[in-house]
Amino acid sequence: MQSLTLESATDARDAVRAGILPRLHVKAFTGGAIVLAFILVGLFGPALAPLDPNKQELTAMMQAPAGIGSAHVLGTDNLGRDILSRVIYGSRVSLVVAFAVVFVSGFVGIVLGAVSGYFGGKVDFAIQKLVDVVWAFPPLLIGITLMAFLGQGLFNLILALVAQRWIPYCRVVRGQTLSLRGRDFVAAAQCLGASNRQIIVRHIIPNLIQTSLVIGTFAMASSIIAEASLSFLGVGVPPEIPTWGTMLADARIYISTAWWLPLFPGLCIFITVLGINLLGDGLRDLLDPRLKRTGAKI
Amino acid sequence: MTSYLARRLAGTIPVLLLISLLVFLLIHAAPGDPTLLLLGEETNAADIAKAKAHWGLDQPIYVQYGKFLVSVAGGDFGKSFKYAEPVIGVIKSRLPATIELAIFAILIATLMAIPLGVWAGSKPNSWIDNLGTTFGLFGISMPSFWLAIMLILLLAGVLNILPTSGRSTYGIAGPEQTGFYILDSIMQRNGRAVWDALTHIFLPALALGINMLGILMRVTRSSILEVMNEDYIQTARAKGLRENKVVWRHVTRNALIPVITVVGLELGTLLSGSIIVETVFSWPGSGSLLITALNARDYPLVTGLVMIYTAAFVAINLIIDGLYAIVDPRICY
Amino acid sequence: MKRNQRILLASAALALMLCSSSALNAQTRVTVGVTETIETYNPYGDSVSLLYGIWSEVTGPFCTYNYAKGDFEGRLAERWKVENPTTWIFSLSKNYKFNDGSTVTADDVVHSLMNRVIGDPQSKQKASVAPSVVKAEAVDRFTVKIITDKPTAPLLSFLCDRLIVTSKAVFDKYGRDAADKEHMMGGGPYRLKELIPGQRLVLEKRPDHPDAKKHPRAPDEIVYRIMREPEQRVTALLNDEIQIAQFVPPHMRQRVQSTKNLRITPVDSVEIMFLAMQPKPPFDKKEVRQAVCHAINRDQIISTLLQGEASRLDGPIGPGQYGYDPNLKPKMNYDPEKAKKLLAQAGYPNGVDVELQTPVGRYTLDKQITEAMIPMLNAVGFRAKLLTPEWATLWANVQKGTIPFYYMGRGSVQDPSAALHQYFHSKETPRIGYVNPKLDELLDKEQQELDPKKRRQYLSQAMSILTDEAPACFMWRHKLLWGLNNRVDYKPLPDARIYGIDMAVKR
Repeated sequence: MQSLTLESATDARDAVRAGILPRLHVKAFTGGAIVLAFILVGLFGPALAPLDPNKQELTAMMQAPAGIGSAHVLGTDNLGRDILSRVIYGSRVSLVVAFAVVFVSGFVGIVLGAVSGYFGGKVDFAIQKLVDVVWAFPPLLIGITLMAFLGQGLFNLILALVAQRWIPYCRVVRGQTLSLRGRDFVAAAQCLGASNRQIIVRHIIPNLIQTSLVIGTFAMASSIIAEASLSFLGVGVPPEIPTWGTMLADARIYISTAWWLPLFPGLCIFITVLGINLLGDGLRDLLDPRLKRTGAKI
Repeated sequence: MTSYLARRLAGTIPVLLLISLLVFLLIHAAPGDPTLLLLGEETNAADIAKAKAHWGLDQPIYVQYGKFLVSVAGGDFGKSFKYAEPVIGVIKSRLPATIELAIFAILIATLMAIPLGVWAGSKPNSWIDNLGTTFGLFGISMPSFWLAIMLILLLAGVLNILPTSGRSTYGIAGPEQTGFYILDSIMQRNGRAVWDALTHIFLPALALGINMLGILMRVTRSSILEVMNEDYIQTARAKGLRENKVVWRHVTRNALIPVITVVGLELGTLLSGSIIVETVFSWPGSGSLLITALNARDYPLVTGLVMIYTAAFVAINLIIDGLYAIVDPRICY
Repeated sequence: MKRNQRILLASAALALMLCSSSALNAQTRVTVGVTETIETYNPYGDSVSLLYGIWSEVTGPFCTYNYAKGDFEGRLAERWKVENPTTWIFSLSKNYKFNDGSTVTADDVVHSLMNRVIGDPQSKQKASVAPSVVKAEAVDRFTVKIITDKPTAPLLSFLCDRLIVTSKAVFDKYGRDAADKEHMMGGGPYRLKELIPGQRLVLEKRPDHPDAKKHPRAPDEIVYRIMREPEQRVTALLNDEIQIAQFVPPHMRQRVQSTKNLRITPVDSVEIMFLAMQPKPPFDKKEVRQAVCHAINRDQIISTLLQGEASRLDGPIGPGQYGYDPNLKPKMNYDPEKAKKLLAQAGYPNGVDVELQTPVGRYTLDKQITEAMIPMLNAVGFRAKLLTPEWATLWANVQKGTIPFYYMGRGSVQDPSAALHQYFHSKETPRIGYVNPKLDELLDKEQQELDPKKRRQYLSQAMSILTDEAPACFMWRHKLLWGLNNRVDYKPLPDARIYGIDMAVKR
């Protein structure tokens, strides 16, 4: 693991000299900046938001955005609530949900996938059976049923989203483990007396990081979108928690009459997801140990 | 490998059983009583009790499950509470709509994503790459229902070139034969109906496919990028092979592995995840049927639908595994 | 006459004939965008206002409520009389014929009522159409006797526009499922042409039917298309894909009205909206319940959220509904100061926690309205929280009596008897669980009182108690906005029923 880092550091320096790095750097940097901005907005939301996101003013409802300097920069919604404040508070929930879901599902999925692919045999069989069973459920079925049974709430929502999201990690990681398993460096490690656990942790998993990162960025993005979908179907978090998804769902019947209602939460989702994906892309390109062989052609 | 596949096939039966049990338990555990929902607002206790007895809902759950297993073994999934018709019949009438939609969504997604992804991946950091990446990002960053409504507003509302909902216009389409409207219209040589069906399927397929398009494009591109950096590609170039051939003959085949996985995974998501798109477009498929069944706590129908999805997914997984072995000879089971 | 002149004349005559016949033959079609789904071939398989209307149009209707006159009118059942408190005699018209030419007789009515509505376990209509019917029998070919278990004053409101009369002969010959799916026949002015569950239902006019002859401008074909998304319905109306759009949301009214060839027709619905409270702490105290009623600024909600498209209810029912009394007291008007005092009086000077539950998307702007109510409740001392469970869960729990505080609507309240019994009679359903023997007594009396004047008195008294005791706070009746193309002349009804025969299409 340490040798790999050293290698990639050397490669990175070479890549900078080759003029490649700045280009990759831009992607990761932009993505990282966007994600950082939203994390900061999420963390310091209460201080940044001009108004209480739940404060209703029925006489001031459906006001178009009035621009910077006015009382309602992004306008008001159908209950007279300030959209800018709601969007800021909404970032908190969306990010918490996204990070929590991805880390938990990623951890479970990668571990199970690597174990399944590496050991094969009965272990593989059992784990894949679990995958088949859980994956066969239409995702929304599990989501709706869990939410109906457990009730609305942030924790329940995260649980409902994790329930199936570990599987893509598992399948793809297993596939790659299967093909890596026969590779030379694994045999070499075995010859040198490494235990199964060591081999998995030190040799197999690092090689899977790229794919996992790509899946991870998808998963984070898809979690944010999934939360919006569950809200659309009415089984998201309770209404006093403003989330981008709920705002979009509420705005559904106002699209042709109040374009700003669906635009800003939709835009937030889009930009955040874009940022996450850019970051993921950039990171992957940076960490690729074989980058040094690409030459000036890129 | 054949023995592995045979084992997997045999292993599907306990999977199906487990799934049917899980669904049964999940549905029964969720609060909500189907008889109450079905008999309407103005019912009373006596009628509820009668309906329960008629549907066998007053018996303990293991008895209900047992009866269900017995009838399924005989090919009978029971009668839907809501539609009062055999579950198989109800699902059969709705499944073609979803399959047709899924096929078109996949067509749109793959026809655009894979070439774009290969092109972008083989020319990293060029304008094509940037365009392709942006396109892909766009696809996966949109909640499908938002995109669906925007499409309706734009193409059907503002531009008024496409219909807003449904599968066909009354008066144009001929009688239903297979349930696949486009196929039926072709078989009936009804050109107008073919065009009518195509205009109806376009928006929902686009809304459904764009998510998949984004994912596929990105996976293709990233996979191509990885493979492009492998030694054997360098060798091929050194041998003097034209870049095109390098890309298509050597790179693509090897890069297809994760892509195949994703297509397989996404097939599953498409079949079940078209629920929202079907709702927004009033598309009468199995996705909207599932929501209706869930909301009505229609136990037989929900169980039947999930069992059918299961069978489909297991089949898809098997095919994916088989394709793995063909495309990557290093994999052995 | 010269030969050429004769030819000219003949050609002109021919041309005229062709023109007029083609004008006559030009089929008129009206497409309606509806929100309710049409899922089954069985006419008795759903208990939904829209479908009652459609199937009634195909099979009769049996009798109908004329909102303009405020009374029931005969159709298939021409006249009726009450022989004794538990026996009604209906005399059928001799002119109603099924699609195959056979006459609709008393046997068909008896069969439909006893075998299909009541006796068939797949019927969902028993509770709405024949809750107290014990027996129906054919006295002669065109007379039906209906016997109820107890005197049922509102019997007509259960049967009219709801009893669907299908052919006994066809049922006996083909069995139920085939009869419904392949040989659907009715005696009404329209026949069922096509039904694709989940998509559309098409009706075709029967030109020989007496009602059709009386309404020559009624459309030859009516297509009901399911369109649940409001944005979609309105867009379709603007595109002329549909000519009638059910239930345009208030904020889209402008968009429709500002379009050439389109208009909005608002209709007061007969669905009452209310906040129900179960008499368990803190709502076991009357003062707390009254505090809720006084806390809600209904006028503001109506003028802002609903854009004026609702009529406030100062009691369980409003103008146009049977038994409405404009002088009903007390009036639960918006008075937050009074609400605060009441709350303190009840023993909660520092407020109390309550949870309001609401469905989402089932009633007009239900979620937004209840969201707006939360700060109003908080302002008088409640600490209110809003929950938006899924409809299936909410409804099941309401029926079981486990939801202490909820926002709900009750439709088809043209005669309030059924609704009042359901929600407020202590022996009927546990939806609220309010117990008041005096109220029970009044409700029992009104249901069995066949003298209209006395019945109205009982109803008035019952509703007085209800308003004062406030087991529910009555909010408003929505104004349903119908979007109509100017080519179609149609006056929509207060419930969601649509009768095509009442439409007139401009050619």
